[in-house]
Amino acid sequence: MSGRFKLATVLKGAVRPPENDSAWLLDPGQRMMPQHATMRRYEDSEEVDLCIVGAGAGGSTLAQRLARRGWRVVVLEAGPFWDPDRDWVSDEAGSHGLYWTDKRITGGQDPVQLGKNNSGIGVGGSMIHFAGYMPRFHPSDFQTWTLDGVGQDWPISYRDLKPHFERCELEAPVAGQFWPWGDPHGYPHAPHPVSRQALAIWDGARRCGIEMRAGPVGIANGVFGNRPHCIYRGLCLQGCKVHAKASPYTTHLPDALAHGVEVRANSMASRVPLEGDRAQGVEYIDRTNGEHRFQRARAVAIAGYSVETPRLLLNSAQPGHPHGLGNNEDQVGRCVMVQGAPQVAARFPYEIRMYKAPPPEISSEQFYETDPSRGFARGFSLQTVGPLPIAWAEHVVAEGYWGQGLREYMRDYNHWAVLAVLCELLPLPENRVTLADERDQHGLPVAHFHYSQCENDQQNIAFARGLMTEIWKHADAQDILTIGRYAHLVGGCRMGTSPAYGVVNSDHQVWGVPNLFLADGSVFCTQGSANPALVIQALSSRLAERLASGRVSATGTPAGPDR
Amino acid sequence: MAGESWADPERLPRQRRGVTPQMVGRYPDFDVLDPSIAGSWDEATRRAVLARVTPSRELRFFSQEEVPTLRAFTDCLMAQHAEPRVPVMEMLDTKYADGKLEGYQYEDVPDDRELWHEVLRGLEFSAQSRYRRSFAELEREAQYALCRDLQRGVLQGGPWERFNVKRAFSVVMQAVVTEFYSHPWAWNEMGFGGPAYPRGFSRFGALDPVEAFEEHDRVGTDVQRELEEGERP
Repeated sequence: MSGRFKLATVLKGAVRPPENDSAWLLDPGQRMMPQHATMRRYEDSEEVDLCIVGAGAGGSTLAQRLARRGWRVVVLEAGPFWDPDRDWVSDEAGSHGLYWTDKRITGGQDPVQLGKNNSGIGVGGSMIHFAGYMPRFHPSDFQTWTLDGVGQDWPISYRDLKPHFERCELEAPVAGQFWPWGDPHGYPHAPHPVSRQALAIWDGARRCGIEMRAGPVGIANGVFGNRPHCIYRGLCLQGCKVHAKASPYTTHLPDALAHGVEVRANSMASRVPLEGDRAQGVEYIDRTNGEHRFQRARAVAIAGYSVETPRLLLNSAQPGHPHGLGNNEDQVGRCVMVQGAPQVAARFPYEIRMYKAPPPEISSEQFYETDPSRGFARGFSLQTVGPLPIAWAEHVVAEGYWGQGLREYMRDYNHWAVLAVLCELLPLPENRVTLADERDQHGLPVAHFHYSQCENDQQNIAFARGLMTEIWKHADAQDILTIGRYAHLVGGCRMGTSPAYGVVNSDHQVWGVPNLFLADGSVFCTQGSANPALVIQALSSRLAERLASGRVSATGTPAGPDR
Repeated sequence: MAGESWADPERLPRQRRGVTPQMVGRYPDFDVLDPSIAGSWDEATRRAVLARVTPSRELRFFSQEEVPTLRAFTDCLMAQHAEPRVPVMEMLDTKYADGKLEGYQYEDVPDDRELWHEVLRGLEFSAQSRYRRSFAELEREAQYALCRDLQRGVLQGGPWERFNVKRAFSVVMQAVVTEFYSHPWAWNEMGFGGPAYPRGFSRFGALDPVEAFEEHDRVGTDVQRELEEGERP
């Protein structure tokens, strides 16, 4: 990644990302995005070049890139436009507003908890409350079928995304040691110091012959534009009031707004109407007053993540598309994925105080790839987490404790460290987002999330749990608690080579509706053992490049501004 | 019951500064609400945390008939059998009266709000059919036995036939711990530093002289052994 940075930029301090001034546009004296006050506004009736649904990782990156190329972009966001000083609190229970808490039904053999575990709302999306890990996919993730006989090959490869990984890592900026796994690479910021929890894990891992490294986390290690240095207070999952942690609110939206993007908050998309095979714009509901509105657009990109994106496609059923958009082959909502994310906690005779550091500290991808000797396909990554009291209570309750037993384990909090994994669970067509009978407060059918594990999934999770226990034994832990859980949502509208194998093509176009794009984690064909944020951003960055250069056209006429 | 002897609050240090639930804890001189700590929190956070210390006592969601059962049930789940109590019941009432949901509902149980009413009805049903008394009037041992059976999912008849009982326990338990461990008194008990903005915590290497000190790590390494007779299923 050396060639593209000029020595002069290096000498000025932190390496500055190309064509994105977001960090320099923030105000060091307040956390509110200054550009909100002067944000351009479009009329509903004005046909903008692109209407994006969702101001999260995918939608914000797409908006920023295209605004830089002169596109007129409106982003509809179901949640509020945060003023972090006023709206975010450094407190677990008080952060309830950051999560998507409208009703959803969850079921199957191994039902998935939604809400705070994996679903965000508001400007910045789920990255506002993500931990901060920003690993890349491995090259193998794009061809698991060819290499391992499981999942599905992506219609694109690691090479297609590599330049966008590099660019998004600069924008975050990602801090970490040199990364030896997958496609070996370095990171723009040096690794952060680590806490006692990470040191205990590092010690046990080293004695088991497992290599762990600091990073990769999207947290500035040093002043970055007008974003300050991390103060290591461990409240990453509650929204970083410091603005040290990356989220679209700090990494892409300031630059997007400065280039004419309107982010219309409290706007819940309800339907994408077509005329012929072209999307006309987006119907939405103003959540502040219940008013139904319609934004006209030459092209539409949905970036609502793996539950709301399929839900919107299904709720957009209309003549010609009786089962929803992109669903003529019954593929919408299928192969929705979560990662198996069991955590093993260990007690030490000395105090750990895991709350004091950012949860994402060190990780290992040594077990990422398939190892035939383990007896299952694909693998997992090892990572640190630092549960705060409520999350720690869920840990203890998961082991069956309540009453005095729970209270005592809770009193012991400062002696515990927690190690976690992300297991790659396979895409299964039966795991699916559909519409439930229930309706939300706007009268729209809510999503039903069906999830069951296959045998390979169970083997993977069991192996990873065993390995974590082994690490703790080698670290001389005195007692161990384990919780089974899930992390991250992806898939549900995967990329494919034909409508029978996905909902979008390799250019993110919904089959049968060429000016409708999906630009979020729902297009993943497989999920790897990587946290999805960076991959989602890189996909949007690539899509934007293709749209802006005219390599992708919607129904003959290229999408984008008339010029 | 066996699990209570070792956790006899008398064996734990009494709180000297601030408040903990039942005035026991590991950090008798730590008070997260002390102005030297809480005074450094940002305004939005301080408002959110302090509101929990003075909750509204007026119930809007649960009915008066439900109160005795609910109070006895939540006291069992959090082993709060003496004052001062974290007002779990009042906090739950505020949450559901304000319509706060978690963003998902398991397909085999009703909406969280309806589920709470059902669980309380179920506890009354089981207390009456097993002991011919109201849940709140039972000996603590009998209350714990019903809670254990709820956790195991073995309660039957009446309301229990309408949903997955084991799942219901996990949903209400999660709701209860979410309220209890959001309360600063619970943070005092466990030595959690609380919010840290705009100031961070002291550095995370060796303990800092300004940090709360743990006293008498009495239960220490034997938690698991001592709990063998406790409330583990």
